[in-house]
Amino acid sequence: MSLAIPNGLDNSVEQPGERAPLVLGDTTYHDITEAVCQVAERKPSTSWVIGFLVSFALLQWLGICILYLIYTGVGVWGNQSPVFWGWPIVNFVFWVGIGHAGTLISAILFLFRQEWRTSINRAAEAMTIFAVACAGTFPGIHVGRAWLAFWLAPYPSLNLWMWPQFRSPLLWDVFAVSTYGTVSLLFWYMGMVPDLATFRDRSTNKWRRMAYGLLSLGWSGSSRHWMRYEKAYALLAAFAAPLVLSVHTIVSFDFAVSQVPGWHTTIFPPYFVAGAIFSGFAMVLTLMIPARKMLGLEKLITIRHLDNMCKIILATGSIVGLAYGTEFFIAWYGQVQEEKFAFTNRAFGPYWWAYWTMVTCNVISPQLFWFKKLRTTPWIIVLICIFVNIGMWFERFVIVVTSLSRDYLPSAWSYFTPTWVDFSMLIGSFGLFFTLFLLFCRLMPVINMAETKATLAKQYHMTEHGDQ
Amino acid sequence: MSEKKEKTVHGVIAEYTSVDTLMAACRRVRDAGYEKTDAFTPFPVHGIDKALGIKPTILPWIVLGAGLTGTATAMAMQIWMNAIDYPYIISGKPFISLPAFMPVAFELTVLFSSFGAFFGMWALNGLPKFSNPVFTDPRFDRVTDDRFFLYIDSKDEQFQRADVEKILGDTETDYVQTVVEDESSDKVPKPFFMMWGLVAGLSIIPLLVVLKMRVSHSSQPRFHVFYDMDFSPAKEAQQYSTLFRDGRAMRPDVAGTVARGEMQADVDFMTGIDMSALTAIDQPRAERLVRRFNPLYQSDAPPAQEAKSEAGTQAGKSDDGDGPQDAKVDVADEDASENKPVQPAAEPSAAEPSAAEPSAAEPSAAEPSAAEPSAAEPSDGEPSDGEPSIMDTTPWLDKNPLVLDEKTLANGRKNFGIYCSVCHGMSGYGNGLVNERARKIVAQTWVQPSSLHQDTLYADKYPDGKLFSTISNGVRKMAGYSGQIKTRDRWAIVAYVRALQLSQNASIDQIDEAQREGILKEQADAKKVLKEKAAAEAAKTKAAEAAKDAA
Repeated sequence: MSLAIPNGLDNSVEQPGERAPLVLGDTTYHDITEAVCQVAERKPSTSWVIGFLVSFALLQWLGICILYLIYTGVGVWGNQSPVFWGWPIVNFVFWVGIGHAGTLISAILFLFRQEWRTSINRAAEAMTIFAVACAGTFPGIHVGRAWLAFWLAPYPSLNLWMWPQFRSPLLWDVFAVSTYGTVSLLFWYMGMVPDLATFRDRSTNKWRRMAYGLLSLGWSGSSRHWMRYEKAYALLAAFAAPLVLSVHTIVSFDFAVSQVPGWHTTIFPPYFVAGAIFSGFAMVLTLMIPARKMLGLEKLITIRHLDNMCKIILATGSIVGLAYGTEFFIAWYGQVQEEKFAFTNRAFGPYWWAYWTMVTCNVISPQLFWFKKLRTTPWIIVLICIFVNIGMWFERFVIVVTSLSRDYLPSAWSYFTPTWVDFSMLIGSFGLFFTLFLLFCRLMPVINMAETKATLAKQYHMTEHGDQ
Repeated sequence: MSEKKEKTVHGVIAEYTSVDTLMAACRRVRDAGYEKTDAFTPFPVHGIDKALGIKPTILPWIVLGAGLTGTATAMAMQIWMNAIDYPYIISGKPFISLPAFMPVAFELTVLFSSFGAFFGMWALNGLPKFSNPVFTDPRFDRVTDDRFFLYIDSKDEQFQRADVEKILGDTETDYVQTVVEDESSDKVPKPFFMMWGLVAGLSIIPLLVVLKMRVSHSSQPRFHVFYDMDFSPAKEAQQYSTLFRDGRAMRPDVAGTVARGEMQADVDFMTGIDMSALTAIDQPRAERLVRRFNPLYQSDAPPAQEAKSEAGTQAGKSDDGDGPQDAKVDVADEDASENKPVQPAAEPSAAEPSAAEPSAAEPSAAEPSAAEPSAAEPSDGEPSDGEPSIMDTTPWLDKNPLVLDEKTLANGRKNFGIYCSVCHGMSGYGNGLVNERARKIVAQTWVQPSSLHQDTLYADKYPDGKLFSTISNGVRKMAGYSGQIKTRDRWAIVAYVRALQLSQNASIDQIDEAQREGILKEQADAKKVLKEKAAAEAAKTKAAEAAKDAA
């Protein structure tokens, strides 16, 4: 087998007449199994232990803050008239958006037969589920009486004697996010079953074998099973693709269907979806680059993967920048006084610092990805992606807070000030996210082995025919 | 199958190291006529279903059924809950409003389809199944790593152990083995049960506590989770409050805002009406207008009720039963009465209902006394007969309050171009682009915008203040622009409209002598061009006619 790679592990250079390989080196099927399984089978590294302890501590802190909030009331947040949505909703939209990249990679890129997705989709899907878990926390506690959050569900209540109001975007949101979480979980778990069977078959310990045996549902690799499995996977991908677009569309309806100046615009759905993909890919890269280094997966998650993801960030980042410009143009062109004010106030009002942080991070920083050198240098990618994540958090802050703090009733105007609980919960949600992600890295197959092997099989096939 | 001592044989399995050898073996086995076969691979191998003769799955149909169930469930649920069992009135929309039900219908379709795909796939595969005879062979563990297996089941009609072992042995394999029954215990280990029992037992406790509380009585007072939610710490004016840092329950004005009732508005400038003159003839109306800009305005004059009856007999216009809160009714009424002088009988239907309804509804609802109907009659009948029977007595401002310089006119021209010209046309003949388009598509409900060049709209019959009010509040189908154009700019438009009107009626003597010659020349040139054009046109038609005659 000869896989001509011009400069070591860099497969981002296209060779004419030959497709750049997606799996590098003289890799065999068994090598892939080894590379992925050793992550879970060897002893945890020091960096993993430290990371886990820090994340777990932050998660505990989040739990304490939630208890404090429930016991004391929502006044512990900075939410105050007229900004009743505040950080909890900012965090909600931020985390839901992060999740979108996972589904995009696993469903949309699958439907478009983008095979480079195979080695990154598993971790991205896991990220989706953990991000949705973080997102779901915030509206749940933001309802004020969190122990009554089940009132959101349409069930025959003996206390209320009434049903939810299905013409409200907030209820659509309940359905959208819970469907999204459920379908992502099914998709993720189903994709993992063959790999869990690999874990089962490799385990030497009885208990471990039993646990993975239960999780893998008795998977045997039968061709009949594979055939139905692949059909089901394609169907789920076909559902997840419109679903991922619908979720952030509906999240944007929470804003756009209202009449608050700065929210009441038709551009919101596409603009939110592009922003979600943008932030999601940035998060995937932020996680994946350190992970591939620490877990020794450079042959599977290659520079080419990073390069492709950077291109998506560049594209969606430019869409987001265009959307910012369009909003301003429409505010001027529409000649509605309140809209004009809302946007002038965003950029030059008391929250100018948030607005310009957002523009710097979201519009200017991804433009650096026009340079190939920057797209293929991991530490620079991480740096830019962290900027993008910061920028996207600020985008939601700008949308939620600047519009609410100065709407139609000037006598109610005020300046939003977060409290220590707001900060703690934002940081704590990262604790939740990273705890789950680090546990995933230890306990589950981080790369889709079966699919990567199928890609490798194709690669063998191609090179054999190419050489002769 | 065989002797008692030997284990039951389930089939024969062979191991391969690559996709190609496996595929070759598959084809061979299929060609030999075996049907109950299966291949086991670490990843989906494409083309193997053909090589083994596997039929396509019915899974897509299951998913379709599940998806349709989802859509139907969502629609039935929403219609039942929001339109039948508990009808919600939301922004006057129909109870069954399909567009608003779409998002949930979409989500449930996706959810049910996904459940269909997920659970349907496992069910069709017969999984979960934790005991499988192929698992008895330790070598089979590599099926999820890098080995490929081909299996022939003993249930196959042709199955003869020796034949099968031979045909598999002839393929490129090093390992052929019979698959025997799994003899290991299929009992679930005890600790597993214990753990499961413990979790189940503990999780049932909260439920039992809740149930106990629901069916029993207690003499204890109710437990308040949030004391301050049940007993609000709200305060009266002048009291001490713990809610604010300065300790005051009364809050000072927010910097940069004007409190209700403290607005010092130049009402003349805002309405285009001479307010002192209006107060003299129709005080209630004047007060209502002031209240539009200053809602808490209190007059020193006698109470509105008395003043109203006086004014009502005088003007015969304002007795439409409006209390001081009904500023809106008054505005509508104003607009309707303004219509009359402009185009007396042109299209009364467009403006009528809005004006007639409030005044018609008011007496029956708010003042059900027997004496009222006769008093309400004149205002009721007035708009519908279409005659300008009531003169417009409003003391409109005659003069534009802005300084009329070049800057004002330029501003007026700019705003006229942005807002007015789309309907009224750049030169004000009522032939803007929207109008032309409406005529082209023969829009049924379209009302021709007025030409600004008719004597009823000149300053002597239609004072500046009135024009300003029309721009602000709208007329007929034209919406009011007070929300979009600043007051100052609306006055500038008034000035520009006057200039436009003058431009179509001015005589040459009104122009600076220095410019007269140029303008006259321009005019002559234009006339000449028009004449030539007309002559060319005439010649053309003549030629055409001649050609027709000849034919």
